[in-house]
Amino acid sequence: MLAALFDSSVWTAMAAAAVAAVASVLFLRSRNFLYDSLALAATEIGLLLLACGIVAGAIGSRLAGGLWWTWDSRLTTALIGFLLYAPYLMLRRAIEEPTRRAASAAVVCIFALFDIPLIALTVNWWLARRTVSLPVSAGWTILPVSLLGAGCAWIRLRQEQQRRAQDAERRTAQEI
Amino acid sequence: MKYVRQVATVAMKDVRAELRTKEAINASLAFALMILLLFSYTFDPEQEMMRQVSGGLLWIVFAFAGTLTLNRSFARELPNDCLDALIAAPIPGSALFLGKCFASFVLVLAVELVSLPVFGIFYRVHWTPQFPALFGVLLLGTWALTIIGTIFSALTVNIKLREVMLPMLTYPILMPALMSAMRLTTSLVNGQPIPEDDFAWLKMLIGFDVVFTAVSLALVETVLVG
Repeated sequence: MLAALFDSSVWTAMAAAAVAAVASVLFLRSRNFLYDSLALAATEIGLLLLACGIVAGAIGSRLAGGLWWTWDSRLTTALIGFLLYAPYLMLRRAIEEPTRRAASAAVVCIFALFDIPLIALTVNWWLARRTVSLPVSAGWTILPVSLLGAGCAWIRLRQEQQRRAQDAERRTAQEI
Repeated sequence: MKYVRQVATVAMKDVRAELRTKEAINASLAFALMILLLFSYTFDPEQEMMRQVSGGLLWIVFAFAGTLTLNRSFARELPNDCLDALIAAPIPGSALFLGKCFASFVLVLAVELVSLPVFGIFYRVHWTPQFPALFGVLLLGTWALTIIGTIFSALTVNIKLREVMLPMLTYPILMPALMSAMRLTTSLVNGQPIPEDDFAWLKMLIGFDVVFTAVSLALVETVLVG
């Protein structure tokens, strides 16, 4: 059950990464801030799912074999994926100017997406000799997890759009 | 041809500025030697285990010391608004970026070539028999380090937390390249040729360089102008 939860959250996080990268490319092409909000919402929810997935995987591994961390290749890949996307949020916080922030964040998103397959491959080779402790089975859990992810992302997208509208109004008010 | 000259001009300018001020290369070199020395406290240099982890240690030193140089790559242009002048210069953004890349590449490689013999002396690894192959791995790994380092150096140049953000962003992305370089270096510094099983890692390293050089060149205008 926990392994299935881990698997479905990782798959949903991968889908979120793909959505974020596509939204980033669309933002760089159109400079429409809706795409920037979408990339942000997808990345945030993807990170949240990855964090939950890693915790579920660690607990599952503890229950199955007594060890929290067995350097399972998929858990390790998920952890590196988390470290890959966490600076995205830090970078956004560090840049004030909206266009600059969105463009820089989009660049990070695109780089990260190209890196995911390479990381998955190398981690697999690196840990190939070790036994895989988690059975590979997302099963039916992928449906609720991905729906939950999509729902949360939708809410975050709406929030972000509202915040942006408020910011714009505040700036207009200041100019007046 | 004109493009090559533009790249060379930017690269020469950076190398010359660095050789005159020596602000990054001295720090980078001292830092590399310092970490090499610090490792001897954690690992017994006499032990056989040292040989098994030598490639990993070496690349940790290179990655840390390299970041010091790469941090300066674009930050050097901040005083007197030199960066704005460079961006406004009548050369393509990619030429500016590649010039900066080659300059950092030369500087990081120089630090690596100084640290390597020191590493060999301290830890008694035999890096000389396989030096040509090792040099090839150094070139590929260093290019990965500089291409990612330079593009993110440009991305973070105007941020307050620049020094913190650069390693946070680059190390996770560099993971496949560093892992491949470590793997290949370990057998080479022990005087053995690359085993046939490890050719996949070599392909990964080359693939990483090709993919991210292409992605960086595609996105460089966005990074520089915003």
